[in-house]
Amino acid sequence: MAVELRPPAARPDRPPRRPGLGDTLRQAWREYRSMRTALVLLVVLAAASILGSLFPQEGLSPQRVDQYFADHPALAPVLERLGLFDVFGSAWYMAIYLALLGALVACLVPRTRALVRVLGSRPPRGGDLARYRTQATFTTPAAPEDAMGAARRVLRRGRYRLAEHDGELAGEKGFLREAASLLFHVSLLVLLVGLAYGKGYGYRGQAAIVEGETWANARVGYDSFSPGRFFGAGDLAPFQLRLDDFSNSFYPNNTPREFASQLTALDLDGRELQAQRVAPNRPMTVEGVRIFQSDYGYVPVVRVTDAKGKELLAPQEVLTLRDPATEWSTGAVKVTNAKPQVGLELTMFTGLATAPDCPGGAPFCNDPRLIRPVLVVLAYQGDLQADRAQSVFTLDRSRLRPLGDRPVLLAPGQSRKLANGMTVSFTDLKQYSVLTLARDPGVPMVAVAAGLLLLGLVPSLYVTRRRVWVRAVPDGAGGARVELAGLALQGKPAFEAELARLAEQVARGSGGLKPGSPEDRGTLDAPERST
Amino acid sequence: MSPADLATTSDTLAWLAVVSYVVAATLFGFEFAYRTRWFGVAGVTVTVAGLAANVGAAVTRGLAVQRVPWGNMYEFSIIVGIITVTGFLVWLSRRPEIRPLGVFVLLPAVCAMALGGLVFRVPAGPLVPALNSRWIVIHVAAAITGSSVLCLASVFSILYLVKERVERRQRPPAPPLVAGAARTADRVEVDQAVARHASVWSRLPSADTLDHLAYRTTAFGFPIWTFAIIAGAIWAQAAWGRYWGWDPKETWSFISWTVFAAYLHARATAGWRGRRAAWLSIVGLATLVFNFYAVNTVIVGLHSYGGR
Repeated sequence: MAVELRPPAARPDRPPRRPGLGDTLRQAWREYRSMRTALVLLVVLAAASILGSLFPQEGLSPQRVDQYFADHPALAPVLERLGLFDVFGSAWYMAIYLALLGALVACLVPRTRALVRVLGSRPPRGGDLARYRTQATFTTPAAPEDAMGAARRVLRRGRYRLAEHDGELAGEKGFLREAASLLFHVSLLVLLVGLAYGKGYGYRGQAAIVEGETWANARVGYDSFSPGRFFGAGDLAPFQLRLDDFSNSFYPNNTPREFASQLTALDLDGRELQAQRVAPNRPMTVEGVRIFQSDYGYVPVVRVTDAKGKELLAPQEVLTLRDPATEWSTGAVKVTNAKPQVGLELTMFTGLATAPDCPGGAPFCNDPRLIRPVLVVLAYQGDLQADRAQSVFTLDRSRLRPLGDRPVLLAPGQSRKLANGMTVSFTDLKQYSVLTLARDPGVPMVAVAAGLLLLGLVPSLYVTRRRVWVRAVPDGAGGARVELAGLALQGKPAFEAELARLAEQVARGSGGLKPGSPEDRGTLDAPERST
Repeated sequence: MSPADLATTSDTLAWLAVVSYVVAATLFGFEFAYRTRWFGVAGVTVTVAGLAANVGAAVTRGLAVQRVPWGNMYEFSIIVGIITVTGFLVWLSRRPEIRPLGVFVLLPAVCAMALGGLVFRVPAGPLVPALNSRWIVIHVAAAITGSSVLCLASVFSILYLVKERVERRQRPPAPPLVAGAARTADRVEVDQAVARHASVWSRLPSADTLDHLAYRTTAFGFPIWTFAIIAGAIWAQAAWGRYWGWDPKETWSFISWTVFAAYLHARATAGWRGRRAAWLSIVGLATLVFNFYAVNTVIVGLHSYGGR
């Protein structure tokens, strides 16, 4: 930044003009786009982000937000009002980063203009070279013009932009630093625009599909759905997905190895579009929608008949919740047309084992591999309160009492009688796959911006700006006295050696040093010129 | 060797590395305190031996688990040791005069490794499906390298603050004020006491050198950290269907990135250069440490598999 020293314009006998509103605003604007403001805003942004990781976030884990409300009933509503459960979507967080972006734009515009101006102008003259801190001087037998020619060649090879000012050669290089820095910052802006665009026009949702079934991409098919602000209901791509097969495997130590869905995408008329095996880290793309493997679970098929063999519940696919730690799953069956009503609590084991076969003397345990599936059924009867909203995975037992005193164990294909004469059959076992579907039209923009950002970052830190001036004067004995001086805007510690190297190359290029000349290459302790 | 034997060998080598680094750090410490060259030369030798054991520990661990040896916090800690010490040795080969600083480089590396071995050790095992991707090679390697280098930069900033303080105290006292003659006498006494106690610290390279070192190291680590975040975003896009979701690990990576970005800007801002910038770097260190230890263990998020 240029510092200009001018004598005060106001005459001493008149008091200086009082600063008006315009001056204050101009001053504020200058302050706003200064590096100091950006710096403070960066620190504030970091501090604000910390809050987002200290409190449970609505977008990440709504259950934990609910838990927080239960644990701190007095504090939680206050925190919610402050936006602390949705920090990254809150108005004040947005205010911080918009202020930062504003400051960035306000700073980038004049910087770009300055760079263009500098690129269009010639390297400035050095003036009195003795003023510069970094200097080198030598005497050569060559004529001054030849020495200058050598200097021109050396500097051009060193990628300096050159200009001549009557007898003085001025070289300048390192504009890539500023250009790269501008590229970095502009990319950052573009990245954020892409992020906002993708968020606004995209969506994300989860859907569960049972093996063998076909699922249509419609709003009702999603178990959870979060659209962007500008995502219209009609924007869902028209296609269907069929889960042909689901498979999962485990390592010998029973930790999960892989789980994958064999999916076929169909158009609305049922024509096959594409088929792919979707696994973690292996998504599929259909009509711009990315489909990811998220989770899976078991679907026992259960049939219930009354004592006379009349079907109360046709074979029903019961979605169960899988506990990833034990790999057993829980679910519920509600037989509303029985009198009194009957509810079944199901626990699905993939490989049930009992006492002697379990580690640590546990009464029972489960092998995560699907080797010995067993459905454990606990029956209840009474009022299911089915007219009230309730979870499909559990029973509301407040108006139910146990039916029979022990659980019923079923292997696939088996049937057992309950205490009231009803028969429960475990007719089949399927799996379901939980898929995440997402569309983010901002991704290409963000990806390109991230690439350019990285591309700009390294030169903006490593390229150094330099100015070098060379002058050659006759030494009065047929040779020339060559003076080099330079100014480094960055990487100052290394510049002295750099200039010495340049001087050496110029000397070599112009026929070596003059024999017997006092070779006073080095530095003078002159103050560095301020620009 | 069977995988179990390999895993045992790896554990032994890791401890051998820790012990070597402790010995080397002690030797560098002696060189720093007593200026005896011999200690430093021995320190380098022991460091190289420790590095060999450290690399051996990572390689055998990798062979035992049949994957890259950076799948959990224990394994990260081993890699942090390799990167920090290799970085130090490479840099030592270019600037031998910084050898006594080895104590300040090795001690944090040793602490990270020992903490990893004592608290976060997990038996050799395979990865959960979500981690099975080639991006684990790129993203995690970049994250470990970037954070190790940035931590190292912060160590230099700490040393800079120490030395800057020493230099400030050693400056000739200001001309006495008219009203403060008595206080000035006290001040001289204090300065002498400080100078006596600061004698060891005054052996640090000049504050300017340390500041420059801290800057150069940050300038090296920051792009790597940026790349690690971008690589992580690409992986997250493939694995979770979104490249950014403010998961606690992502949030803290962003916080560290912001703080070190602030540091880089601070060094070019009047009034922030020097001490304030150094403090920013130390805040950056704190965020990196928090991200690695607290976010993996205390805060629930998608990256929680890093711990136990």
